[in-house]
Amino acid sequence: MYPGKLNQIIALFESLPDSEKRESLISYAAAAMKQGPRDGETFDLEDVRKDEECTDTVGVFLKVSPPRTCSFRITLGPQVQTLTKAMTAILCKGLDGLTPEDIMEVPADFVPKIVGAELVRQRSQTVYYILTRMKGIARVWLNRERSAASNGV
Amino acid sequence: MSEKNYAHPEALVSTEWVSEHLADPRVRIVESNEDILLYDTGHIQGAVHIDWRSDLQDQTIRDYITPQQFSALCERNGISNDTTVIFYGDKSNWWACYALWVFRLFGHTKVKIMDGGRDKWVAEDRHLTRAVPHFPHGHYAAPEARADAEIRAFYDQALAQSRAGMALIDVRSPAEFRGEVTHMPEYPQEGVLRGGHIPGAASVPWKMAVKDDSTFKGVNELRQIYEDEAGLQPGQDVIAYCRIGERSSHTWFVLTYLLGYKNVRNYDGSWTEWGNRVGAPIERS
Repeated sequence: MYPGKLNQIIALFESLPDSEKRESLISYAAAAMKQGPRDGETFDLEDVRKDEECTDTVGVFLKVSPPRTCSFRITLGPQVQTLTKAMTAILCKGLDGLTPEDIMEVPADFVPKIVGAELVRQRSQTVYYILTRMKGIARVWLNRERSAASNGV
Repeated sequence: MSEKNYAHPEALVSTEWVSEHLADPRVRIVESNEDILLYDTGHIQGAVHIDWRSDLQDQTIRDYITPQQFSALCERNGISNDTTVIFYGDKSNWWACYALWVFRLFGHTKVKIMDGGRDKWVAEDRHLTRAVPHFPHGHYAAPEARADAEIRAFYDQALAQSRAGMALIDVRSPAEFRGEVTHMPEYPQEGVLRGGHIPGAASVPWKMAVKDDSTFKGVNELRQIYEDEAGLQPGQDVIAYCRIGERSSHTWFVLTYLLGYKNVRNYDGSWTEWGNRVGAPIERS
């Protein structure tokens, strides 16, 4: 149902008691600050913006390598909440190596399995925002690929 | 805080004051945040965590915990009836003010806000720890009832206030007040069906009361905002509201403690109740 690496992360979280789940989320949140572009990296697409539904600026950087494997880098503004930071690191790891088509098909219903029912609240819904942004940039990449193919490029 | 001429300067403490009272046994420091995991990432040494949703609210009905549950909450956090409780948190102290207001609902009057909240503490590069403190249980005699009638307003009371042309303060963003959006800027939709505001309400966004560093403005600036511009008068019966009662707790604190208004109530049902209620009158402008 979920792609391999993400599935492993979900399975791990589901096996953890709540206290360890929180600790793991804190660790992932700390790792989120290391998900940004590194010196010398180049990308096929970059999308840095501040949307109404998120508390701060989020930058999504996509590189698609042959044959068609995606890798993401993400930057987060300081006001982004801890759960959203955690989800960023989880998704960068869990979706690494998928094709753009695979990215588009990742269902969002894994979030409560990772976060746990206690932490999912109305005001925690921005944890879904990062996946939406990753899908958005994958969609743009696919549209450009189709456009290039139809133009015979 | 005396230099700012607040009506109750004792209700505010500075980050410096808190840093000097970390080990004061008469004081308990409480962090209350919107970011559910923020306390776990690091907090002021000795601070306990009280969550607005899982600790202060009933887990089934949209209401607050009972006096007995409040007593148990205090005791397990080492708070007794005579403990001075210092609240701080993220979002310029929204949830700290909310928690303080709930403590007042249960009659706990020894309450203060750390001016500037968590952001100021962090900006000053003060120490944070991940160590969760454990205190001996407090001894808390449960109050007989919540003081809902004194500082809390319900739908019918807000409606009566509106119909009587009495003071209502809408502390949401201007776009929410005008009915252009049904969510807070930078937040997801929180389930409200109609946009606008309670007829007759004045728009005074909560943020007008704070400076860039999240500390409260001085009393002269506050009087200009709430009295000269919004038309409030000391002694008036005022009801403040927002979406779920946290931003209006902030304004309730400003009016009650900093300006010294004696009859301010927080309508915690706020727009998520009003904007969903069948037949509730709505004004847009």
